[in-house]
Amino acid sequence: MRHSMTALGALALLAASTSLASAEDTIKLGASVQLTGPSANTGRYYRDAYQMMVDKINAAGGVKVGDKSYKLQLDILDNQSDVNLSVRQYVQLVSSDKVNFLLGPFASNFALNDSSVAEKYQVPMVQGGGASTEIYTRGYKYIFGTLPPADDYYASTIDMLQKLDPAPKTVALVAADDSFDVSVAKGTRKLLKEAGMTVAIDQAFRDGAGEFASILSQIKSAGVDAILWSGHETDALNFIRQMKSLNVDPKTFYSFTVGVPTADFRSALGGDANYAFGMTSWLPDESLKDKWYGDASQFAKAYSDKYGYQPDYHAASGAADLETFVYAIEKAGSLDPKAVRDAIAKSDFDSLYAHIKYGENGQIVLPQIVVQIQDGKLVPVYTDKILNKPQYPIPAWGKRG
Amino acid sequence: MLLAQILTNGVLLGGLYGLMALGMALVWGVLNIVNLAHGAMIMLGGYAVYYLFAGLGVDPFLALPIATLGMFVFGYLLQRFVLNLVVRSAMLNTLLITFGLNVVITYLAQLAFSADFRTINPGYAGSNIAVFGITVPLVNFAAFAIAIVLAGAIWLLLNKMPLGRAIRATSQNLIAARLYGVNPRQLYAVTFGIGAALAGAAGGLYGTIAHLTPYIGASLTAKSFVIAIIGGLSNPFGVILGGIFVGVAESLTALYFGPTYSDVISFGLLVVVLIVRPARALRTA
Repeated sequence: MRHSMTALGALALLAASTSLASAEDTIKLGASVQLTGPSANTGRYYRDAYQMMVDKINAAGGVKVGDKSYKLQLDILDNQSDVNLSVRQYVQLVSSDKVNFLLGPFASNFALNDSSVAEKYQVPMVQGGGASTEIYTRGYKYIFGTLPPADDYYASTIDMLQKLDPAPKTVALVAADDSFDVSVAKGTRKLLKEAGMTVAIDQAFRDGAGEFASILSQIKSAGVDAILWSGHETDALNFIRQMKSLNVDPKTFYSFTVGVPTADFRSALGGDANYAFGMTSWLPDESLKDKWYGDASQFAKAYSDKYGYQPDYHAASGAADLETFVYAIEKAGSLDPKAVRDAIAKSDFDSLYAHIKYGENGQIVLPQIVVQIQDGKLVPVYTDKILNKPQYPIPAWGKRG
Repeated sequence: MLLAQILTNGVLLGGLYGLMALGMALVWGVLNIVNLAHGAMIMLGGYAVYYLFAGLGVDPFLALPIATLGMFVFGYLLQRFVLNLVVRSAMLNTLLITFGLNVVITYLAQLAFSADFRTINPGYAGSNIAVFGITVPLVNFAAFAIAIVLAGAIWLLLNKMPLGRAIRATSQNLIAARLYGVNPRQLYAVTFGIGAALAGAAGGLYGTIAHLTPYIGASLTAKSFVIAIIGGLSNPFGVILGGIFVGVAESLTALYFGPTYSDVISFGLLVVVLIVRPARALRTA
């Protein structure tokens, strides 16, 4: 009995000393991510991108602060797709797990609430999962984001539509009622007005409800030229399926804020995904040079080799958040949250995701690349000029091969 | 014309809603178990049809009876070896255990099927016909027809067959039923199995119309719960009618108030029904 007690005591001491030693040489990054629950499908991009970046940076020698090298340590909790739980977990990460810095969750609703924890405890958070402008209009100092403003998601699309023949005149705007989509709808209304297009139908739906028969019947009876849709993946999926089964054909065009760039979306819909337009802030392009991976296409390859699925802009955006911290910590030359926060605000570097430079409010500004699914493949179509010929107007359901 | 289309949408959707609720109402009425894992069983049925279709190439409507049978066995075993331990205890216990089952099934499903979303998407999934200018999606119509047929089958079973009489007798007076030679343990398991089988059928149809993830269960349980109460627990056709009522109400709400209010209406209806006709709502089979 006594022996075992001594051994236990020694073990405890040993454990304490190793954790002390490691605490000295590591920088702890904390995040609460959707690993289970309805958003797990997208949450995994963040977990996997964070982990891959941390492994890469540690393998390359870690982060240099002054003349000392630190390893990164990732502390990810599963928020089960529950906003309230994610807020509690961020409080736990900051107050009892004592992480140095915070990485973000997926989705605007989460980032909107979780960023308040960062602000309250004055621990910088860089997040790549929330695009809603609501996150950045509260005067917070400790929140930065690598997704471009939701208000502008449809800017490049509307720009393109005006150059196509025939240009659509009447539009149905359909958006979910969560923070991200409300931002998108608000911005899009303004953009459409500036472009001189008429919003014939303007409907909100409950995020995740997946039931569009009424909206679609109204769209059909109004006979609009184009549908601009905003929401999350499963709703986009149901919208397309119900469009087909109710025979709803806008005259020329329909587009989705999310879903179209993800491989999962295309495989779930099969041929019905064809012609759908969408947008992405990132494509795995060789022109995006990166300090750690060389360029974005090599990152994408390493990612799909490791995890068995293709990264999309969520993953790249998450990776950029980690790069931001490494860049800022090395610039600041300290782990002081305030100093690192100021260094993040002054970020100016190339990454596999984009050129990283945050605006006054903490949010990056990037153009959305218009993409279209053509014969099962994702094709970039437009940024500020036509990249590839869009298949336009979109043929009616009954007239497809 | 728009109104006619919207009413059609609502009725077709409501048929599927009714089928979802049918199994829950049966189990609730006979066993007095509010099965909070009902939506999770709908999800399992959906995945069963999905894998039969995507993996083995079985047509979804042929896969449906297979999935239904599989879910019957699943439900039978679940009742026999798990739920039977608490069937006569307080309502709270059965709520707790079915809630726990819901969590377990959902997370096992994520492990087994991943969080990727799936659709059962045969070539004809989006087909439709026009009747007097109203678009009728064929799969939704088939789902509606199957819901009616299954409700009819359950009605026949409960009212015309010895097994059904035994089921009703057991729920009305356990002691008397036992005196007449009914084996309640067996009967409860069969009833729960039928409830699970109905959930399985609903799941396969749901996956063909909408989408599947491991997490669809919770909202489907809530919907089934509302419809089971509105439709009553005693008559299968009442449940289908309840489903249609909710489907039409939701569609009209979406048209006149906007789709964000659909849930307010269906749960609002529940409150109204409970206030106006509490006795009827709680009467059992």
